[in-house]
Amino acid sequence: MVEVRYDSVTKRYENGFEAVKDLNLEIKDGEFLVLLGPSGCGKSTTLRMLAGLEDVSEGSIMIDGAKVTDLPPGARGLGMVFQSYALYPHMTIAENLSFGLRMVKGEGRLADDEIVKRVQETAKLMELEDQLDKKPKQLSGGQRQRVALGRGLIRQPKVLLMDEPLSNLDAELRHQMRTEIRRLHETLGTTTVYVTHDQIEAMTLADRIAILDEGELQQHGAPLDVYNNPSNDFVKGFLCKHIDEIVETANNLFPKE
Amino acid sequence: MKSLSQRWYEPQEITTLRLWLPIAVGVNLLLSSIEWIREDWLSLQLSLLGAFALGVLWLVLPDGEHSWKRDVAMGKAGAVLIIGIIHYASGMQMLIDVWSTLWLTGPAAIALWWLSSPVISAWAKGTLSTQGAERGLARNKVMAPRLGAVGSHIMLMHAVFIVLLPVFWILDVAMSPGNILGGDIGVSDWTGEHFSKMLDGDSSFWIWLRNSLVVSLGTTVMGLALAVPAAYAFSRFKFGGREASMFAFLLVQMFPGIIILVPYFLVMKTLGLLNTSLGLILAYSVTALPLCVWMLKGFFDTVPRELEEAALLDGCNQFQVFWKVVLPLSLPAVAVTALFSFLAAWNEYLLALTFNTSNDMYTLPVGLASLISSTGQAWGDFAAASLLVSIPVVILFIVFQKFLIQGLSAGSVKG
Repeated sequence: MVEVRYDSVTKRYENGFEAVKDLNLEIKDGEFLVLLGPSGCGKSTTLRMLAGLEDVSEGSIMIDGAKVTDLPPGARGLGMVFQSYALYPHMTIAENLSFGLRMVKGEGRLADDEIVKRVQETAKLMELEDQLDKKPKQLSGGQRQRVALGRGLIRQPKVLLMDEPLSNLDAELRHQMRTEIRRLHETLGTTTVYVTHDQIEAMTLADRIAILDEGELQQHGAPLDVYNNPSNDFVKGFLCKHIDEIVETANNLFPKE
Repeated sequence: MKSLSQRWYEPQEITTLRLWLPIAVGVNLLLSSIEWIREDWLSLQLSLLGAFALGVLWLVLPDGEHSWKRDVAMGKAGAVLIIGIIHYASGMQMLIDVWSTLWLTGPAAIALWWLSSPVISAWAKGTLSTQGAERGLARNKVMAPRLGAVGSHIMLMHAVFIVLLPVFWILDVAMSPGNILGGDIGVSDWTGEHFSKMLDGDSSFWIWLRNSLVVSLGTTVMGLALAVPAAYAFSRFKFGGREASMFAFLLVQMFPGIIILVPYFLVMKTLGLLNTSLGLILAYSVTALPLCVWMLKGFFDTVPRELEEAALLDGCNQFQVFWKVVLPLSLPAVAVTALFSFLAAWNEYLLALTFNTSNDMYTLPVGLASLISSTGQAWGDFAAASLLVSIPVVILFIVFQKFLIQGLSAGSVKG
């Protein structure tokens, strides 16, 4: 049972600014949770605290029943996909994928042929078999995105974290990758936390949406539940109204006969 | 009424002349000043006359409207050509005269050739048809890059010549018999005596070379070992006194080296580091440190932070992040910094002269200077040795060339 729990987590910066205020949130095993909100709402900070890239000022974070608040990022058993992909430019795709596995020390360490096998499997899963010897520079945006996903998944992480992974792609590719991410989630069932500011992305991907504003959790629940029963004006304006407008625009463009 | 093409068409040849004739005028004026220094009055007058005529030619270049301009321009070009030939015939007809004359006859001949072509004469007289102008515009597109390439190569050849002239000169001194400076270039018999004397087994040259290599390589290693971690810390971590120490590094650079010479000497004397290579290594490393740190910091700043975060999540500790991700990406900058430290130490003279006073501890620059003493001035040996000293530098530059360009155009690393 991999379960993530935020217990009254607060992030306060040195200048006193509170990016996240007293957050209580549970993410269930195998769940696809989307953190949604406008820029500056604290959703990225929430994710980065889970990743260990930001310190937690107050409260604690549990993964799988263990307190990870003060563990280094590498020890938490997470995979992460960054907005800019953050592939290592000096390594081939195969090296990029296997880097995390090779960094493991001690009993968890895989044998070399096991690592090669894992790379092959991941490459197959991500349709990257022909790209393994190339450098990131030689790949298209969509392929780089798949490498980044593969690098996040190859260590079979307890939780997969994604920080606006699609915002560097064009509309066509974004749609394609969205489908692919959902397909992967259904195949692998990895617990996933996904950060975005795009309401449509959130509605189509999530099992559950958590909406944040000014560092506070506004509402969380299944996408349609949230849409149908917004708990306050912010959710109404940010989610419901936005989606209604898109639907209205589409209806006006293609009037029903 | 002229068509659009007719109004916009100007032959590329004319455009090129418009650009290059002023340059030719400038070069001829420069030459005439040299002739003035040499008190070669006839050549001076011819050069000035030629420059003047080229200037007039520039003024009367055809504009596609006044047909008389072409005839005058042809006449002027012919005049310059004749002036150029007289200039050559009346001079000493050495290599340099051929070159200087070419700056008169070359532009003139090309102008004559182009102005007499049918298309340009038709254009100059304003009788070119619309189709002719359209063809001309298409031709211009092809001509422009070709003429541009020829022009830039002419400029580059001059640049190369200017750079190589001192090298040829010193090569000439090194390969002429005797230890004299001066005389004509390339007239004496070639000899390798200076080189063989320098490279002889008993020659001090080998001792100096060893000292220089020890000091330069030591400085490079020591400088990098200090500068790389320091620069990374300055680039990535926040700590008390960060701004102040960055500024202090710059501040040190503002003092001329001679000011710290005496304090340096006293420190070295106290520590017993006079007449040792270690003393020089320490001094050079400290001197090179500020610039190296600033250069490397600038490069580290361009390595995206997300890459480091990705490495952290992949299980690296802070040192591994640096060693496995940041450093490999910064190799060009590290190479540039290494080269810089090496060259600074290889060329340094003043500190080496002050600290190390025995011939056994001389570095190459000091050793070379000792060849030109007040008692005997071995210019031939000096020239041969200075060529030998340059060889490692040239090799380093050739090897590091690729890195240098990458390193100096920081920020080229993109995920």
